[in-house]
Amino acid sequence: METFFVALGLLLVGGIFPLLTSRFFRFMKTGYICATIAGCGFGLCAAAIPLRNPEILSVSWPWLHLFTLSFSLDSLSAIFLIPIFFICPLAALYSYHYMAKVQQSGRTAVSLFFFTVLIISMALVATAGNIITFALSWEIMSLSSFFLVMYEYQREATRQAGYLYFIFAQAGAMLIFAAFAVAYSHTGSFSFADFAGIPAQAKMIVFFLALIGFGSKAGIFPVHIWLPHAHPAAPSHISAVMSGVMIKMGIYGIIRMYSLLQVTDLVFGQSVLFFGMISGLLGIVYALSKRDLKKLLAYSSVENIGIILIGAGTGMIGVYSGNPVMAGFGFAGSLLHVLNHSLFKTLMFLGAGAVLQQTKSRHIDMMGGLIKRMPITGKSCVAGAVSISGLPPFNGFISEFMIYFAAFQGLGLPGPTSILMMLAIVSLALIGGLAVTCFTKVIGIAFLGEPRGEKAASASECGCTMTVPMVIMAASCLFIGIVPAPFINTVFLGLRDIHGIAAVSPDTIAGLAGNLALFSRLFLGIVVLSMILRRVCYINKEVAAGPTWGCGFTRPTVRMQYTGASYSMSVAEFFRPFVRMNSVYSGIKKIFPGTTTYETQVEDIAEISLSQGIVGPLLKVLGKLRWIQHGNIQLYFGYIILTIIVMLFFI
Amino acid sequence: MESIIAYGIAILAAPLFPGFILKVKAFIAGKKGPPLLIKYYTLAKLLRKGSVYSTSTSCLFKMGPTVSLAAAVMALLFVPLAGVAPVFSFHGDVIAVFYVMGLGRFFTILAALDTASPFEGMGAAREAFFSMLAEASLFMVMMLFYRLNGALSFSGYFSGENPITMTGPNGSLLLLVIVSLFMILLTENSRVPVDDPMTHLELTMIHEVMILDHSGPDLALIEIGAFCKLLFYSIFITHLLIPAKSLDGFLYGMVFVAVVGAIYVAIGIIESIMARLKMNLVPKYILTSFALASFAAILTTMGLV
Repeated sequence: METFFVALGLLLVGGIFPLLTSRFFRFMKTGYICATIAGCGFGLCAAAIPLRNPEILSVSWPWLHLFTLSFSLDSLSAIFLIPIFFICPLAALYSYHYMAKVQQSGRTAVSLFFFTVLIISMALVATAGNIITFALSWEIMSLSSFFLVMYEYQREATRQAGYLYFIFAQAGAMLIFAAFAVAYSHTGSFSFADFAGIPAQAKMIVFFLALIGFGSKAGIFPVHIWLPHAHPAAPSHISAVMSGVMIKMGIYGIIRMYSLLQVTDLVFGQSVLFFGMISGLLGIVYALSKRDLKKLLAYSSVENIGIILIGAGTGMIGVYSGNPVMAGFGFAGSLLHVLNHSLFKTLMFLGAGAVLQQTKSRHIDMMGGLIKRMPITGKSCVAGAVSISGLPPFNGFISEFMIYFAAFQGLGLPGPTSILMMLAIVSLALIGGLAVTCFTKVIGIAFLGEPRGEKAASASECGCTMTVPMVIMAASCLFIGIVPAPFINTVFLGLRDIHGIAAVSPDTIAGLAGNLALFSRLFLGIVVLSMILRRVCYINKEVAAGPTWGCGFTRPTVRMQYTGASYSMSVAEFFRPFVRMNSVYSGIKKIFPGTTTYETQVEDIAEISLSQGIVGPLLKVLGKLRWIQHGNIQLYFGYIILTIIVMLFFI
Repeated sequence: MESIIAYGIAILAAPLFPGFILKVKAFIAGKKGPPLLIKYYTLAKLLRKGSVYSTSTSCLFKMGPTVSLAAAVMALLFVPLAGVAPVFSFHGDVIAVFYVMGLGRFFTILAALDTASPFEGMGAAREAFFSMLAEASLFMVMMLFYRLNGALSFSGYFSGENPITMTGPNGSLLLLVIVSLFMILLTENSRVPVDDPMTHLELTMIHEVMILDHSGPDLALIEIGAFCKLLFYSIFITHLLIPAKSLDGFLYGMVFVAVVGAIYVAIGIIESIMARLKMNLVPKYILTSFALASFAAILTTMGLV
């Protein structure tokens, strides 16, 4: 535990450093990055301790004479600490060239400080040992990330996104605290350990309040609305960390609550699975139909949270039905997907940031041909896209395979549950297919073909501190895919401290890991062989270059290329009941038509229902009460006095 | 050793079978048709040639053929061939194999989009859409098989205590599955009624238009991959049609090859008597196969079968 606090101390020192040295722009950033990398290194060492030995480290201090701050580091916390301490330093490194404006050095310093606060608070959330500590860390995490989102506060869109995020974060926190309060009213203690003793009815309330509360942080459909607004508004390395790491704290909360409450009823697994399927399918369908690259990635996070929840839900049903293999692989697959998603989603966001810096646009239909102009970014993003689509031999496949493995186990369960598992498998398959469509669109439209705009045509590779983190992440994605055994074993160690999961025999785990490793390596071998074969075929052959075959059309322009919207249109239409598409077409009216325009927009049904169903009526009602706010200070004093007098009656 | 030899023969014979389709089509149309070995001649011709690369393309364009070939070749490693055990097999290999084929498709699509041609983009969008639906049907079939004999590997399906075949106790259910799988075969391999490999109009193509800009050995690699993929699906269906181990070694092999050939003939007949569907009907067509498979799967959960 000392190592853990040394790590946090180092991070804190690193975080305060930029505030003091903001005049020396480069010195500030270099010092900050070094301290962050050192701190996170210590943090990773601390996370390794509970994974190595089956012991739970804990420490507590009294605070304000009333409360105790207590921290405990078990193997489940450790699993969630790994992405925090591995991804954040890479994102910090990335910020060196990404935040390159000397004029904004003061603001950069503040942003770096809050970034550190975010890292520390996430680590504290993952290790919090009682209600008070958890609530404090959770609030610090939400607030620091709010300030990070508000980096470009002058822009109207950023402020709107920031406030939306703030509302969702606080509403979510409110539900979580309500859940804690319900538990507290039964136990009378702040300790998490007493949660198991509350009555079954209360457990139900606590779990579902917490599920929605944590879900709004994780981005479960339909409380995901802040994601597609906040991620595009934040600087790219911030959205990378928020999407790759921070939203996983919501998942941590759900799994932790499940473990603390020691609930094994079927309904918990079923509802988590249900939310997982909805988030997964709708997340990827919306991702597919978005043009804004970062919005697309934000929706893809909703999808991946869905996959993680499908895994967790399958695991919970496995626990209920007493099938250790199903329970183990479900939870392990979902935890491994947490790790994997933190790698490839961060990679994709960093790639999007590099593209944004070069092309000054997030609009996917303004890009094109970037892989030739930004080869390292482009190739890393291809690796990220293959991983995020869950295809072998990359890491996404390993975790999805484990979830499939668990879900197939569930097909043997009686009646309705097995039909639910069938639905889960079909949704996973559909999500996989849709993810392929979505990420071929990202790569194919943004990175391949011909540039669609001048900015894209004049793009060039960005600085080395931006490319190095992307290459490291792409390489890690491939590494986990080819050498899955240590990672699969690690996540199984993480299950040790979840209540109710019986150990899966090491032979089953080793067998599965071995098979997957063999499969990936074999496939990689065959790809290399066929590349060599291709080379051999081209020895002494004439190779020429020419224009693309235009099918008889001789004057093609770059504007004729397929756009992202046209690529995804038919799939989006297929899901029409859930996807509302608005098209505006000016039409051709005269014999010699002028400029015609055509625009399609896909709207999120959750967002529409929220704004039309809740926010609209609420505004109408509250608007009638607006006369209370008249700006007359004397009357405000009157309110205060009136309130105090009324309160006096109750004392 | 036996498995590797069988595998080698399968790869070498893969270009032979599509010749059957052409012969059947020619026969029904009252023509003589190309020789049976036409695909070998085409491959030899392509391999002798050089290539022209579009100036729009990048390195991913060259990865398309190799990865799609590797995926198809990989898939054949996991299916039992004519009674011989597959080269590799493990619990769950079915999922892995279909995901690898997904990877092949991923790179084919990227290669198509890399050319900056609107036609190829169109083909790519269709391919991505249709195969997504087909994948759902395939997983439905997998779930049914899992419920029938608890296996999750190709060799597990067709060997062991109760192999999945038409002649087994669940034959009637499998009839639905065979129809469903045959429909998926036609979809995934771009045959009529989903796609017409013989069409000359780029606007209506799916697979062919995606590989318009590939030439020479690159095109040959893609073709070999496509032949292997078609053979893979045909073998899958063949296993369902004839019971394993009903005959001894060599005779079984002969019957097996004959049934594989018969599936190609069936494809040829369908291509001769049917027109391709309108593009907006294709999703419904694929969903029909999904409905068949899920109907069969749900029957097993009701305890009726």
